Amino acid sequence: MNGLDAEPDDAERYPGLDEPGRLLLEWMREHPHAPIFRNRSGHRLQAVDLLALKDFEAEVRAATVDPRGEPMPAWLADFLTQAMTRVPHYRGYGSLPRRLADLPTTARADLARDIARFVPDDVDAGRLINFRTTGTTGEPLLVASHPQVAGRYLSFHRRALRRFGIELRSGAGEVGVVLLGWQRQCFTYTSLSPQQGGAGLAKINLHPDDWRDPADRAAYLDALAPEVLSGDPLSFAALLELDFAHRPRALMNTSMALLPGLRVRLEQRFGCPVVDIHSMNEAGPISFFDPALDAHVLLQHRMVVEIVDHEGLPVPDGERGEITLTGGFNFCLPLVRYRTGDFAALERRGGEWVLTGFEGRAPVRFRTLAGQWINNIDVTHALKPFALAQYALRQHADASFSFTGTGLPPGDRPAVLAALQALLGPGAPIAADWPERGEGKLVQYRSELPGAMG
Amino acid sequence: MSEPGPPLEQLTRRLAETPTPFLAEPRFGSQGGQVHVDALVADLLRLHGLTVEPAALSVFGGGKAASERNPRMLAQVLCWLLADPALLGRYRAEALLDLLDGQARALAAHAAARSFVEDGERREELVRLSLRAAGLRPAGESAAVAEDRWLSVSTAERVRIAAASRAAEERARQIREALARKAAEESADKWGRE
Repeated sequence: MNGLDAEPDDAERYPGLDEPGRLLLEWMREHPHAPIFRNRSGHRLQAVDLLALKDFEAEVRAATVDPRGEPMPAWLADFLTQAMTRVPHYRGYGSLPRRLADLPTTARADLARDIARFVPDDVDAGRLINFRTTGTTGEPLLVASHPQVAGRYLSFHRRALRRFGIELRSGAGEVGVVLLGWQRQCFTYTSLSPQQGGAGLAKINLHPDDWRDPADRAAYLDALAPEVLSGDPLSFAALLELDFAHRPRALMNTSMALLPGLRVRLEQRFGCPVVDIHSMNEAGPISFFDPALDAHVLLQHRMVVEIVDHEGLPVPDGERGEITLTGGFNFCLPLVRYRTGDFAALERRGGEWVLTGFEGRAPVRFRTLAGQWINNIDVTHALKPFALAQYALRQHADASFSFTGTGLPPGDRPAVLAALQALLGPGAPIAADWPERGEGKLVQYRSELPGAMG
Repeated sequence: MSEPGPPLEQLTRRLAETPTPFLAEPRFGSQGGQVHVDALVADLLRLHGLTVEPAALSVFGGGKAASERNPRMLAQVLCWLLADPALLGRYRAEALLDLLDGQARALAAHAAARSFVEDGERREELVRLSLRAAGLRPAGESAAVAEDRWLSVSTAERVRIAAASRAAEERARQIREALARKAAEESADKWGRE
């Protein structure tokens, strides 16, 4: 064991590493077309973690997802009792109420103020890892986590993939997943997935600065031939420009909203399902988009999902409000009525509990040229047909608009503007900007007009 | 110098038998549960033959559930305790309000309101505190014995609180340090990044 601030060694990063695993790591890292890997990281899963993860996988596979907290299910009463006994912040709440909704809500700012107050007393601090996140609010947050929690993600990813007919089958000597980034600075490394038979994992940055030769990007992807490619709309837009032959079995979008136009382009190019997973560092994968239901299907069986109004009061099923979570699988960070900042309605569709009309961040209203207010969802709908990687619409104090649309071929741009004008009023002043590349998360909708937040 | 009040056991039994409605959820403005604590306090004052400005009751009606739920529930429990016929008319309005607000808040910062109903030691602490606020001591105890017992229960509680606070600070420091380690930062193997 190294000292507290020392660089970990491979025995800590990859417990139980065998010779084939070591060779695979070396091959991914030292491949002639490999990028410049900037970092090192590992799964840190010990034998005891792997046993626990096996049980967890079986539990997730068999689970029925029911997000209702009322009447209070036995697991929830137990979860809340534990949280209100062992977690410093929740201890101040007093004793277990009859209804979940009687407890206060929490928000990102509460976690950001002092994350230590949300970590249960009996979690071994020695094994904590962190997920660092800025979100779209720019408020940095260090989420407490654990190697086993990171491992649990895979069970939910598998559950989502299964819905598209994909059972993961990569194993030793193969590459399971390549995580794609498109950033100026990106944490890049190679690792192994012991839960997937020791298959390889590489996190790479498609930005040309991370490669000795930009042409290596396509060659490296062909060489690794990963079973799954995981990324975000910006890295997928960059991926579409690379000429390579490999066809992954699935694409997973795990960060930022994937617009339908880009999804269709990816499906056409790679001939495989594109699974759009709604996931956040604080809670892990929450739901995935099912085009057949036109809704996000909930993934976690030990999670209550409430939709709440501005005051934190639950709204009836089918009404829109803020997605608020209780429970979850991160035992280092139990959530009690955590307001996510994302908005949707909860309803049953096709026999399943789904989120409909999902939108990240609070609703914003825009004022049309004719003086009517329209919801940002209308803008989302109007832009659905276009293969934008990202976009942002802002209304200024003088009621004029600025629009930023990323990754759209020039030929499609007039049609986007026409769709916006049809919505905001013919002749509405819209200053458009069309960067080829985005630089990270965008605040999608903003307005400086009074009354815009509804 | 304190005066003899009702027997300790009479009041601790009353606490142990707190009716369920007094343990229900408090209301905060237009939100929260069924118990209008401000109205409950007004009723208690009336029982004691006291009147106060309505503004003095506003502290029991508003606020945020996140920080006020537990102290407000303890105020509810106190309303039940202090309505014991043997205590009626023994308080000044300011002492009663201080007990229900300031002192309840201090106690609730470290223990769930329910524990003052369910836990024997906490029941005794709350009863003795309530008697002292009226300048009373339990029947059958000399002033010296009552003072000794009070010091004993309240000191034990203070020691517990101090130890718990120290442990909590130490634990929070460990967690912050653990999360700030280089090793914590660089290990995060997931098949997707948010």
